[in-house]
Amino acid sequence: MMFHLFVAEFKRSWIQLLRYPTEVISAIVVTTIVFYGLFLSARYVAGPGVQFGDRMESIIIGYALWSLAMFIMADITGGLQREAQTGTLEQIFISPFGAPKVFLVRALAGLTIQVALNLVILVILMVLTGTRLAFPPMLLLPFVSILMGVYGLAFILGSIALRVKQVQQLLGICQFVFLFLLTVPVESWAGSFKFFAMLLPMVPGAGLLRDLMARDQTLNVGLWAIALVNGFVYLALGLLLFRYAERETKRQGKLAGY
Amino acid sequence: MLVLHAQGLQKSYRYQGKPIAAVKQVSLAIAAGEVLAFLGPNGAGKTTTIKMIAGLVLPDVGTVEILGRDPYRHTAALRSIGAVLEGNRNLYWRLSAEENLDYFGVLRGLSPRVAHQRGLALLERFDLMSKRRTVVQALSRGMQQKLALAVALIHDPPLLLLDEPTLGLDVEATQHVKALIREIAQEGRAILLTTHQLDIAEELSDRVAIINQGEIIVEESTEELIRQFSGTTYSVALEVPLDGDRHSKIERLGGTIEGNTVYLYDPSMLYDLLDILKPLPLLRIEKDDANLTEIFLKLTGGRGKGEEEREKREEGRVKDQQRLE
Repeated sequence: MMFHLFVAEFKRSWIQLLRYPTEVISAIVVTTIVFYGLFLSARYVAGPGVQFGDRMESIIIGYALWSLAMFIMADITGGLQREAQTGTLEQIFISPFGAPKVFLVRALAGLTIQVALNLVILVILMVLTGTRLAFPPMLLLPFVSILMGVYGLAFILGSIALRVKQVQQLLGICQFVFLFLLTVPVESWAGSFKFFAMLLPMVPGAGLLRDLMARDQTLNVGLWAIALVNGFVYLALGLLLFRYAERETKRQGKLAGY
Repeated sequence: MLVLHAQGLQKSYRYQGKPIAAVKQVSLAIAAGEVLAFLGPNGAGKTTTIKMIAGLVLPDVGTVEILGRDPYRHTAALRSIGAVLEGNRNLYWRLSAEENLDYFGVLRGLSPRVAHQRGLALLERFDLMSKRRTVVQALSRGMQQKLALAVALIHDPPLLLLDEPTLGLDVEATQHVKALIREIAQEGRAILLTTHQLDIAEELSDRVAIINQGEIIVEESTEELIRQFSGTTYSVALEVPLDGDRHSKIERLGGTIEGNTVYLYDPSMLYDLLDILKPLPLLRIEKDDANLTEIFLKLTGGRGKGEEEREKREEGRVKDQQRLE
């Protein structure tokens, strides 16, 4: 049954995406242009002779992760708002699967789209900046921990969207917080700062990914375990909050409307 | 067999810090094959009640059972509900008619194969087969509403909740949707129908429940309710004016005359009246039946045109009586 739901959600999201391709193309173009602008500015500041070395690769990975996280957040919260307006949200809540399950399966089904889009962005960035990134299969391990964190945060924001319906402003603020979390190389910090950084969402996984893809290092299993626990905690928090928000919204009778 | 049994539903919301009672004490029961028209003015608590039944709003007090199961505790009970809710089309606008049916079928717990088969059968039945590959946003409003009904039926639910299913539709589409609802009810489903179009409610419903300010003020079979509110007056319209002799005879029977129409208040005198009128050509004879609109307005504080006319006639009759005495 859950597999059938996954396939149905997978088909639904891909059909909706491919039926209006201009939206996807513009999202890819805008995301890459913003990065290229930043890249050109950084090169201008640094001067012509400076080599960025593995720092450029690290920044690209951080940026691609950031755009992935933002796409997922916008997908989940924007979807909730849109569906509250068109009335499909209430239909989901009448499903015998229960809304949290449907939204989790939906998020996983939509992941293929988000990963595909962001791989395109990543490849364009590599071509534009002339960088080479390693793609060892091991990268999937920290990647999973990051995704758990992203989905956890998306469900937290989704819970707020369910309650107050309008979260565009909050989403705008999140962009900057996420940019900090995913692009600042906290793995190179030391002492208590590094310890606190490990508690922040997505941060330990993003550091590991930079180690694997930009610095050609092997996976630090201890750090990966921390990243995994970190991702799990944020995902669990997101899902719990979503369940709470569902109950409260039903109590207040505010599932529909916007 | 009772499909829906809602008992003592209550719901209050807070508005500017104060609690506002949206639904005070509502109990509803619908058996299989029965259409209950749930009527009330705007803000009377209809939608809140429907949403409590669908598990979309949690009641403060009260219970809901659908085929004996509580939808708040057992999400499987939701499998027995199909719903078309107010104000929107409940569909994915970027998906085609067929894709919507496929998706919602699986969302309601069907296998993709069964969902597809049932979807095609519903498209055929609702006369939407030629539009199966058209995206919803390109369909007319009437077609969107028919598709929303089809989607609500995809998993063959025993209970159908229809909140304003004909809202915003033109005359032809309204007739179509009305015919479909009648057909669906005949299949043995329990239907809870809210509508502001009271002629539709009168035509489709077996029973009527009228809610006002959060409370059910009347619940009765549609036929019985109309009978209760109907007068006993007969009106006889003639093609020609009455002569003076007949005029006085009719007044002696207690009747009144307005233009070419005679009003008779004692039904046992009908054939005496017809004897008096014989052999004048008659246009029509009508018994003064109330309609649901008048009943609704009377019970909820408004006044219908028919009711005003009836009162006017009653006043005229009393005056005539006084004059004769």
